[in-house]
Amino acid sequence: MQRSSIVFWTGALLFLAVVFAMTQLLRNEYPFFAGYVILQFVVLSVAWTILGGYAGYVNFGTNAFFGVGVYTAVLLVQAYKAPLGVQIAAAAVVGSLLGLGVGLLTLRMRGIFFSIATIALAIVIETTVTNWRFVGGAAGIQLQRPPVTAPFDSYVKMLFFVQALLVVLAVAITRFIQNSRIGRGLHALRDDELAAECTGVPTLRLKLLACVISGALISAGGAPAAMYVQYANPDSAFNLNYSVSVLAMSLIGGTSHWIGPILGAVLLGTTQQFLTVTISSEINVLVLGVMLVVFVVAAPKGIIGLFGKSFRSGGRA
Amino acid sequence: MNRRRVIGWAVAGIALGLMSVASAEEPPIKIGMSMPQTGGLAGGGKASLLGIEIWRDDINAKGGLLGRKVELVVYDDKSSASETPALYAKLLDVDKVDLLFAPYATVPTAPIMPLVKQRGMLLMGNFSFQVNSKVHHDMWFNNAPWGPADSWATGFLTLGQKAGGKTVAILSADQEFAQNIATTARDVAKKLNLQVVFDQAYPPSTAEFSSIIRAVNAAKPDIVFVASYPPDSAGILRAVNEIGVGDNVKILGGAMVGLQFGAVMENMGSLLNGVVNFNTWLPEPSMYFDGTKAFFEKYSKRAVQAKVDPLGYYLAPYGYAMGQMIEEAVNATKSLDQKTLAKYLRENTHKTIVGPITFAEDGEWKESATLEAQFRGVKDKNMDQFRSAGKQVILFPDRLKTGDLITPFEDARNK
Repeated sequence: MQRSSIVFWTGALLFLAVVFAMTQLLRNEYPFFAGYVILQFVVLSVAWTILGGYAGYVNFGTNAFFGVGVYTAVLLVQAYKAPLGVQIAAAAVVGSLLGLGVGLLTLRMRGIFFSIATIALAIVIETTVTNWRFVGGAAGIQLQRPPVTAPFDSYVKMLFFVQALLVVLAVAITRFIQNSRIGRGLHALRDDELAAECTGVPTLRLKLLACVISGALISAGGAPAAMYVQYANPDSAFNLNYSVSVLAMSLIGGTSHWIGPILGAVLLGTTQQFLTVTISSEINVLVLGVMLVVFVVAAPKGIIGLFGKSFRSGGRA
Repeated sequence: MNRRRVIGWAVAGIALGLMSVASAEEPPIKIGMSMPQTGGLAGGGKASLLGIEIWRDDINAKGGLLGRKVELVVYDDKSSASETPALYAKLLDVDKVDLLFAPYATVPTAPIMPLVKQRGMLLMGNFSFQVNSKVHHDMWFNNAPWGPADSWATGFLTLGQKAGGKTVAILSADQEFAQNIATTARDVAKKLNLQVVFDQAYPPSTAEFSSIIRAVNAAKPDIVFVASYPPDSAGILRAVNEIGVGDNVKILGGAMVGLQFGAVMENMGSLLNGVVNFNTWLPEPSMYFDGTKAFFEKYSKRAVQAKVDPLGYYLAPYGYAMGQMIEEAVNATKSLDQKTLAKYLRENTHKTIVGPITFAEDGEWKESATLEAQFRGVKDKNMDQFRSAGKQVILFPDRLKTGDLITPFEDARNK
C-alpha cells in the first residue's frame, strides 16, 4: 500500500472512531441533527464532483437523484418495512440505474444543454412521485422509525454514524477514481472531449460510468433522509436547493481534487447551520450568495486552488 | 490599594451580586419555535409570528407568566421539512426552552411530531392539517379551527346541497394541502349522496385555466369545489370570469388558498364576487370576542412596519390565541409541567380572541369553526373595503352565520 493510501485510510478510520465515540459520549442530540446534515452534504458534493468536477458535466439534477434515494427508502418502508441498510443499498441501485438512463439519454449534450436536461429530469421524476399515492403523493407521508439498534441509544445518532460511513465510502470511491485511469480519462475529456476521443479515451463509456457512480452515491446519501425527517413530500425531497447548495459547495471547495468538495461542504454546511440558528432570516440566504460570489471571483479554482500544485492539477493523493 | 478604591470595588461587587441574584430569581420563560420566514410559506409565517409577538408584548406588559418575563426563541425553517428536526433539537437540547410552539403549516410541522412525542413535550400546533393523525401525541393542541378532517368540505358541500345541488365537480392542485382537502371532499360527497361528475388534479405550475374551466362546464356540475393555491386561485377566477360556469352552478369555491390575504384580495377585486370560500376570521359581527378589536388595532399598526399582510385575518389572531391558551393554562395550574398543562388544555374550554376553544382527543378543535363566506359587493383596487362587515358574509357554521347564500353563482357574481 502506498504512503498516501495509508494516510488516507488511517484518517478515515480515525474519523469513524471519533464519530462513533461522539455517539456514545454526547447526550445532547443537537450536534447529531446538525452534523447529519453537514455529512449528508459532504456525500452529495463528493459524489457530484465525479461527474461535475472530473468530467466537467455540470449536473443540476442532484435533487432528482437525492429525491429518488428518499423515495426508494419510503417505498421500501411502506411496502416491506425494510431496514435502513436495505433502504440505502436499494437507493444506490436505483440511483445507478437512473444515472445510466440519464447518461444514455443526455450525455451527447454538452455544457448548458446537459445541465438543462438534468433539471428536466428532476421535474419529470417529481411529477411522477407527486402522482404516486402509495408513497404519499402530493400530500406527503409520515414515517415511523423502527426501534434503534444497539450500541446506539437514539436513532439520530445511528443515522449520524451511518452517514459518516457513507462519507468514507463516497470519498474512497472518488479518490480511487481520481487516482485511476478512469480519473485521468475523465480529466482528458473535460479538457477536450474530441482530442480525448481521438487519442483513444473511451469517452462515452467513461461518462456513463461517472453518471452511474455519481447517481448511486447521491441516491444512497439521500436514502437515510427519509428516516431523519420522518416525513417525505415531493416539494422537500426534490427541492432545487439541494442542487444549488451542492454546486456551491463543490465550486467553493474546488472540483479538481476529492478533498475540495469535502472542504466546501464542511465550510458551507457549517455556515448554513450556524446562520440558521443565529441570523435566522433572509440575511442567511444573502450571506451564502455573497460567499459564492467572493469565492468565484477571488478563488475561481476553489479553496484547494489556493494551495499546492498537486491539488490544483488533480494529482495523486 | 487605598481605602476609597477598596470601597469602590466592594460597592461594585455588591451591585453585581444583587443583579445576578435578581436575574437568577427571574429567568424568562422561553417559548421556542421555528417559523417560515423565507421560502413559500414566509408570508403566512411572518403574519403568524407577529400575532405571537403581540401576545408576548401584552403578557410581558401585564408582568409575564408566573411573575417571569416571556421570551420567544425563533428560528427560520425556510418553509422546509428538512430544517425543522435540527431546529427543534436545538430548541430542546441547547436553548432548553420551557414550551414549544409549532411552525406555521403542515410541512414543517410533520417532521417534529415524533421528536416532540418522544421527548414528552407539549406542542401548540399552528395551522397544520391532520399531522397528529398517525403520531397520536396526547400533548398536541392545534390552534387552527379546522376541527374534524372533513369539516372544510362538509361546510361547503352542505351549503351546495341545501341550494339544490346534486352533482359536484372537484378541481384540486396536485400539492399537499389541496390533495388532503380533495380526498375529504370525495368522502363527504359520498356521505351526502352527491354525484361527483368531474374530479381532476392539475399540476402546481398551471397558469392558464380556461381549458380546465371549459371541461368543468362540460360536466354541468351544480357545485364546483376548488382546492387551490394562491397563484392558481387567481388564475381560476380569471378563467371563470372570462368563460363563465353556466347557470346550473349553485356555488363555487370551497378551499381556495390566497383569497384570505389582503394583497391577493385587493388584486382580484370584483372577480371575487359570488365566490364562497373558507376563512378563519372575518370582520363580521359574530366574530368579535374579548380583546379581538384591540388585537387588530395593534396588528394594523405593526403590520406596516413588519411588512406583512395588512389585514392579517387568516393567521395572526390564531397566533395570539395560541399564546392566550398557554397563558390561561400556566396561570390556572401555576405550573410549567408539560403533562399538567396538557391535562388542563385538554379538559377545559379556553377563552380567546377568536372565540372559545375546546379540544377533542386528537388535539384538534372539538367543533369546527372553519368559516365558509361569500364575497359580495367587492370593488376593484381597494384594500380597506375588506376591513368592514358585509364584504365576506359568513354562511357556515350556523352559530357564526351572518347571512344566506346568494345563488346561482352567476347571479351572485353581479351582487
